[in-house]
Amino acid sequence: MRFKITKTLIESWQYIFDCYEGGEEDAMNDFLHTLRREPQEPTEAMKNGTNFENLCYKMATTAGAQIDKQEENWLKGAAKISNIITGGQIQVPVSCDLSVAGRDFWLYGICDVVKAGTIYDVKFKNKGLGSADVYGNYLNCSQHSFYLRALPEAQTFIYLVSDGEDLYTETYTRKDAKPAEEYIMNFYAWLMTNPELLKIYDERWAVE
Amino acid sequence: MIQHGYEMDFSKQTFGVILYGAPGIGKTTLALSDGTMGADTLLIDLEHGVSRTNPIHRMNANILSAATYEEVLKDLDTDAARMAKNIVIDTAGSLVDYLKDWAMRTKSDAKTKSGSFNGLKGFGHVKSELESFVNRIKTVMNKNVIYIFHCDERADKDGNPIQRLRCEGSFRNTVWTGIDFGAYIQMIGNKRYACFTPEDEFFAKGCHGISGHIEIPNLNTGVPNDFMARLFENARKTMAEENDAVSGQLDLYNGVISAVKDMLEGVTDADSANACMNAILSLDHALTSKKESSMMLNAKCKSIGLKFDPQSKSYVPAGDGK
Repeated sequence: MRFKITKTLIESWQYIFDCYEGGEEDAMNDFLHTLRREPQEPTEAMKNGTNFENLCYKMATTAGAQIDKQEENWLKGAAKISNIITGGQIQVPVSCDLSVAGRDFWLYGICDVVKAGTIYDVKFKNKGLGSADVYGNYLNCSQHSFYLRALPEAQTFIYLVSDGEDLYTETYTRKDAKPAEEYIMNFYAWLMTNPELLKIYDERWAVE
Repeated sequence: MIQHGYEMDFSKQTFGVILYGAPGIGKTTLALSDGTMGADTLLIDLEHGVSRTNPIHRMNANILSAATYEEVLKDLDTDAARMAKNIVIDTAGSLVDYLKDWAMRTKSDAKTKSGSFNGLKGFGHVKSELESFVNRIKTVMNKNVIYIFHCDERADKDGNPIQRLRCEGSFRNTVWTGIDFGAYIQMIGNKRYACFTPEDEFFAKGCHGISGHIEIPNLNTGVPNDFMARLFENARKTMAEENDAVSGQLDLYNGVISAVKDMLEGVTDADSANACMNAILSLDHALTSKKESSMMLNAKCKSIGLKFDPQSKSYVPAGDGK
């Protein structure tokens, strides 16, 4: 028996510890939703993120693409990203098996873009890049570790972060990435101390 | 001039660098470490702080002092600026302040009715002017650009110290995109280090073989102030080695992608799709060409009404109940 593991699950678990002061209960509830694999209503911020990503893909793949009213505000940022990802493959599923602490996991994810040995991930910031520090935000993110592990031919992972106008990039190579097992080990060790949650994980995330 | 990838010459490659750290740690002296006592460097001294460096290290440097942003621009159009190999902006946070002042004087919407800076409109002007300024010195003038920042120590959620660039507006984020190296300068024990690999306490950026903690020599012992010159030289050497190693891979990758595009033209039904799949698998792949090729084939098959059947490991008509 293998157990599916994704960066979304790990991120929602990490957020219990990294959330803003007083947000612990909400973070725990969000994690429980993710753990139970319950569909969640996307927030406005999430919808914006999806719409921005789709705009980048549209501009990268369709010459003279039709742009709607909301998208006009994001054209500058989306153009910077589409210039980088043009020619790449979009929404590429990747997976691999790995064993941690005697348990078999199936690591699964979808790379936003894969092109010439590089995985790109498009991130949208609802607040302008001038309003907060973004650099270094992805250092402890499991995503680059997971995706580089699941796609061994890729050499580099680049976060493309935009607020619709500016572009910030953060690059990780295989050498910079923490082992995927480290994230899974920490998560699994925590689940072991919470038998009820481990039971939910075992039930909902088991794969043939 | 069009060159083949493997013919590229990195001997004159220029770099963008961020140096940041606490006051007095030696950022300006480090930025001047071109091995020529500053002869290769133009230092844009926006905080009038260069006088605090040891005169020996700035002996031959050209120091640009200016009261306004317009004066900075004017001085960039001189022989001293044209001849320099390195341009140091000391500090980048102050450059943003100069640009705020410039925007307030020259852009009517950058000032509120009460006469203060209108952040909403003003930073838009600052940002676009900064982009063009950086482009000019890095791309058009083709200089190494060294941005010095002060740093602010803050606390993370658990109270642990984190070091951030002291700079207003989006430049503190976007500046990282255009640079090659970013180092946090710190004392560890009684030695100074330039740290090029990010840690929980600070962000940093390294590439072309430059990473980790690199000790900054103690200049009191008479050693030459040539840290940056050596750093650039090592990076150029590594770039050439990396290029040799990768260019073959990239050629192979481009060849595969191009061949697969041609092969997809002939995919019209399940038989030709499966033949194409086998042909793709038999190619000599490089980088992510195998994954990308299978994605391309999958998209093509979907567009002509085929789906992949995992049991038979082949493409079949999408309407097939198999």
